[in-house]
Amino acid sequence: MLIDDNEVDLKINSKIITITKLFDEIILCQSGEEALNYLSRNKNEEDKIPDFILLDIQMPEMDGFEFLEIYKGLPKSITEKCVVAILSSTLDFGDIKKAEANPHVVKLFRKPLFPKELEEELNKHL
Amino acid sequence: MNATTIRVLYIDDEENNLLAFKASFRRQYEIYTALSADEGLKILENVAVQVIIADQKMPNITGVEFFKNIKNTFPDPTRILLTGYTDIEALADAINHGDIYRYITKPWNDLELHNSIKNAYDAYKSKIDLRNKVAELEKTNDELNRFIYSISHELRAPLVSTMGIVNLVKMEGLFNSSGEYWGLIETCSNRLDYYIQKTLQYYKNNKTVSEHTEINFKKLVADLIELYAYTDKDMKFNVNIIQDELFFGDAFRIEVILGNLISNAIKYQKETELNKHVNISVEVQPTQVHISINDNGMGILNEHLEKIFLQFFKSKINHGSGLGLFIVKEALNKINGKITVSSNAIEGTTFKITIPNVK
Repeated sequence: MLIDDNEVDLKINSKIITITKLFDEIILCQSGEEALNYLSRNKNEEDKIPDFILLDIQMPEMDGFEFLEIYKGLPKSITEKCVVAILSSTLDFGDIKKAEANPHVVKLFRKPLFPKELEEELNKHL
Repeated sequence: MNATTIRVLYIDDEENNLLAFKASFRRQYEIYTALSADEGLKILENVAVQVIIADQKMPNITGVEFFKNIKNTFPDPTRILLTGYTDIEALADAINHGDIYRYITKPWNDLELHNSIKNAYDAYKSKIDLRNKVAELEKTNDELNRFIYSISHELRAPLVSTMGIVNLVKMEGLFNSSGEYWGLIETCSNRLDYYIQKTLQYYKNNKTVSEHTEINFKKLVADLIELYAYTDKDMKFNVNIIQDELFFGDAFRIEVILGNLISNAIKYQKETELNKHVNISVEVQPTQVHISINDNGMGILNEHLEKIFLQFFKSKINHGSGLGLFIVKEALNKINGKITVSSNAIEGTTFKITIPNVK
């Protein structure tokens, strides 16, 4: 699942991920709300819950950290299946520290996304 | 400064004194008088006076006590204490607790009191001016912070999208489909990204307060080499780290310093060199660490050696931002470090750094 308010990035990153053939299906969400809606709507259908979430930080209304705040309260059936990583262009020290400190985030990827980095991280978790 | 705009409040239980004061000073100041502290307080609540004069000996409250009481509610006006007798204890109390600017004995001398009021007003004005300036600076600072934040996000985000597209083009095998155009876009994007990153690094170096943490040089150097060496796989690194002591220092700045030097050493190699190498040695001592970074790259011209640490200095052959070494120098200044450089055809280029151990 890709969560990013920027349509261009959503398109680029989903293309990159498609080419890597690392995943069977990609769910695109343009906001944290959309992603949360999807997750709670499908909470009982295990095969619709994503294995991996790539989350942007800077988004209008609900940013990545606010998303994580709500996300961690979701049922275990979801949070135990999903691996969450951040994908952001941030260079901001505060953001980076905050992302590293969050127990739900396994990794902070910098944009542009490199398939190799993604693959290495995936091998650790899936 | 127009003298009539100075508003003075004088509190004294002896009406004669108030009248005499008015008579002497009504032309120079806007005068408010009060026969008691309560009355004085009422005036303070309604008029923005700049100077308060209070008699020490009043029936219900002393001048010092009055000043103490209004310390928090009316902190701005400058205070002058008047007293008929020289009471050392009152004086000490006044200075220690009442935040009193001046102490004048009664009967007062008109000229002395006049000068005191004038000085008191100046003190008041400086205090207010300073406060306004501080507020102004805080605002500017805040704006600058937000500006930098927006550079790091708004400006970089679309650039990074462009870099993503270039990657995608490569993955789809289209990179060479339009002559060298994609390659040129990639070069330009990378250069712009590098420049944004260096600008932020410079800014952070100026802003961030030093935080001292333990530093493991073996790990730090290994991480930095991994970070920068991917651009050049043929490079050989000879790393020699002697760290038997704990080292404490500003991890952020030390990383910036070593990162810039190591990436320079990797970047500025000779195309024709077959045996490219970078030697890094670190020796931690109880009071300081000595670091030396040596490479057999293109070297630095003698006449450039003095200029390389200047902002925006670049030589004709390399296309740096002119910021890297400047940032190194600035960061070293912040943590009391030193750097020297030498470059010649036989030994290559060597940067030697000393950074104090603050454990």
